[in-house]
Amino acid sequence: MPESLLEASGVDKHFGGVAALRGASLQVHAGEVHALMGENGAGKSTVARIVAGIVRADAGSFRVDGRAVTIASPQDAQRLGIGVIHQELDLFPNLSAGENMVIGNLCFQEGRWARFRQMDAFCRPFLDQVGLTCSLREPVSAFSIGQRQLLAIARALSMNARLLLMDEPTSSLFDDAVERLFGLIRGLRARSVSVVYVSHKMDEIFRIADRVTVMRDGQTVGTREAASTNSTELIRMMVGRELNLTSGPHAGATGDAVLEVADLSTARLRDVSFSLHRGEVLGVAGLVGAGRSELGAALFGLDRIHGGRIRLNGAEWAPRSPRDAMRHGIGLVPEDRRTEGLMMSMSVRENASLATLGRNARAGFLHGAREIADLRAVSRQVAFHCASPEVCVSHLSGGNQQKVLLARWLLLHPGILFLDDPTRGIDVAAKQDIYGMIEGLSAAGKAVMLVSSELPELLRCCHRIMVLREGRVTAIYDGADATPEKIMAAATLAEAHA
Amino acid sequence: MRAALRRAQSMVALLAILVLAVIVSPVASDGSRIFLEIGNLTDILRQISLIGMMSLAMTFVILTGGIDLSVGSILALSTSLTAMFLTRAWPTMPYGSHIALAIAAAVALSAVAGAANGVAIATLRVQPFIVTLASMIGLRGLAKWLTNNENIDIGFGRDVAASFAEVFRAKAIVIGAFAGASAVFWTLLDRTVFGRHVRAIGDNEKAAEYTGLPIRVTKVWVYSLTGLLAGIAGVLYAAENHQGNPNAGVAYELDAIAAVVIGGTRLSGGRGSISGTIVGTLIMGVLTNMLRLNNVDSNVEMMIKAVIIVLAVAVQRERNG
Repeated sequence: MPESLLEASGVDKHFGGVAALRGASLQVHAGEVHALMGENGAGKSTVARIVAGIVRADAGSFRVDGRAVTIASPQDAQRLGIGVIHQELDLFPNLSAGENMVIGNLCFQEGRWARFRQMDAFCRPFLDQVGLTCSLREPVSAFSIGQRQLLAIARALSMNARLLLMDEPTSSLFDDAVERLFGLIRGLRARSVSVVYVSHKMDEIFRIADRVTVMRDGQTVGTREAASTNSTELIRMMVGRELNLTSGPHAGATGDAVLEVADLSTARLRDVSFSLHRGEVLGVAGLVGAGRSELGAALFGLDRIHGGRIRLNGAEWAPRSPRDAMRHGIGLVPEDRRTEGLMMSMSVRENASLATLGRNARAGFLHGAREIADLRAVSRQVAFHCASPEVCVSHLSGGNQQKVLLARWLLLHPGILFLDDPTRGIDVAAKQDIYGMIEGLSAAGKAVMLVSSELPELLRCCHRIMVLREGRVTAIYDGADATPEKIMAAATLAEAHA
Repeated sequence: MRAALRRAQSMVALLAILVLAVIVSPVASDGSRIFLEIGNLTDILRQISLIGMMSLAMTFVILTGGIDLSVGSILALSTSLTAMFLTRAWPTMPYGSHIALAIAAAVALSAVAGAANGVAIATLRVQPFIVTLASMIGLRGLAKWLTNNENIDIGFGRDVAASFAEVFRAKAIVIGAFAGASAVFWTLLDRTVFGRHVRAIGDNEKAAEYTGLPIRVTKVWVYSLTGLLAGIAGVLYAAENHQGNPNAGVAYELDAIAAVVIGGTRLSGGRGSISGTIVGTLIMGVLTNMLRLNNVDSNVEMMIKAVIIVLAVAVQRERNG
């Protein structure tokens, strides 16, 4: 029986009147990679935040190395050797990489004065450990999400962490960065650092985890050895039913070209050319920073276009603003639903109706009944259920939040919908619902562009897949021909032109 | 549900202060409580009306995530312009149209000043605090320059200015203006597309951009409305004080902001209500009246108000895990 590093049991936590955890437990062995799974709202993140000392449990006992401990603050967690990599990396964007690493770090003696040379000497070995080559003096706002994540890991390691909690670390990484992260995690395990890995992604769990704990509705359902379980069992534990995750790219004829883009260039795109057809789902693959979101920004009138031509339904057109794009039947569901999509203190109804208020209004006055009717109609399309349309969206799970945002755009009935990583960080059931919605749009003759960091998702949903690398199109594959290997090659290798 | 509770909290605070005011009220010779006299209660309403009107528009500004520091200076400009138009312009015009023209011109120019704030904020993308700080200084300077830094008396005789003052200092007109503005602004915020856009922009401006909302136009309107209401308040100020005073309204913007935040509107935008702001204005008004009836030193009054502001906002703070 291996030694137990962390034992949490009987953990309760209420937020307001809502029970987030009810007697949850977690046991992590020394030097293991322990996956924590569950649908959104199951309580995984709450467990991670309690163990990290960010929120306090209402009840529960905690043991580290067999000794009973209390974790009342992040400093307590740091002293116990517990480090956390949050989903929204908690870095200070305007401070430099080095400053981010030493701030609040009990292992670095900060005097009254900033000592940059000591700081560099302290930080560099940990950056080398995670394989991050960057200037320590550069502000973190200049870093990509992948680099920020490595920095956050280096920061945790520099605090002598023996247990790293990673909350959905790969939700914004493309496969090559994921590989690097996995290599890093294996290296940590070899040095008997334990990793608690919170994730939705089944294939990752089986590649990296030694054991898996599944949570549902604030309770721990059970823990399994990764080697002696399978995805069907885990999904059943998570949702209490079986889901069909695999389904090939749906074949189907697509119609006339609705969008033809030739040699499109912006600050981040170079000579991008492609066409999009009625009823087609066009996948957009590429590493983070390859220009996937920037393509959406250009088509939606957010980024200035330096060169190239866009033909929309056969007519020449240059997007001037989001309003202009919307008038021409283009919708964009942005990558980050919380900062770019939803009004977090508004209700479900208010969020869903926001883009169509003008259409429903009479002489500038709101029409509440039509808002409700609209929401009800579109809820069916995205399989959205919630107690009341007046619930504030901040109380919803990630999957439901995403559905509210999709509802806003579906109400506009766009002919072309650009979905920027719509399933990022949401649970498996909600993903299925979104796939269903995409299929419905396609069947209704709409054109969809789907950005995703998950190759299986692209292969499942898309008629064709376009691969971007450093702002250029490096390949466009038919869904039937595309393989993960081909897409990866086009996304990563300079010489791989199809 | 939680929003209703928060609003109820400021109502509870208002009721508590009302009860306290009744209890500590001085007693008249016939045994009645002076605080409860109709004359006193309407005095309170009249006294809060000017700040109250500016608070209504300030609520919209703060809901968009902005701030308007220039309303006190716009009030001074409006009150000076009103007095100048009444005493120095259009001497041959009949009284009725002269008064109407003077008011309309002063209010329109105030709205233009507000619109200029809005245009600078929306198109130059300078922070509202800085833009309105600049216009607070600049418009005060303009008012002083136009009047040579002198009060323009509105006569007590039988001229047009005197009849203007007589009409527009009536309690019914002043309180009616505040009540009417309250109804209009409540309707705007709760019932119109414009009001929904105001809240959406303050809640998440980036998302508002991605949703194609008319961010610039909405902001220009919001700051124009504060200019408009500060202008109306300036006209009423001129009538009430029988003068156009370029030094009027100093620090009124801070009283207006205080009323808004006491009413539960979040200073970072996106969340708040007109009813809250009205309650906030009433709390300040009743508190002032209570202290003055009891002859509390006006300096002590300021210190008590300071404590009330912090307490009121602390009590309404959101409690999230």
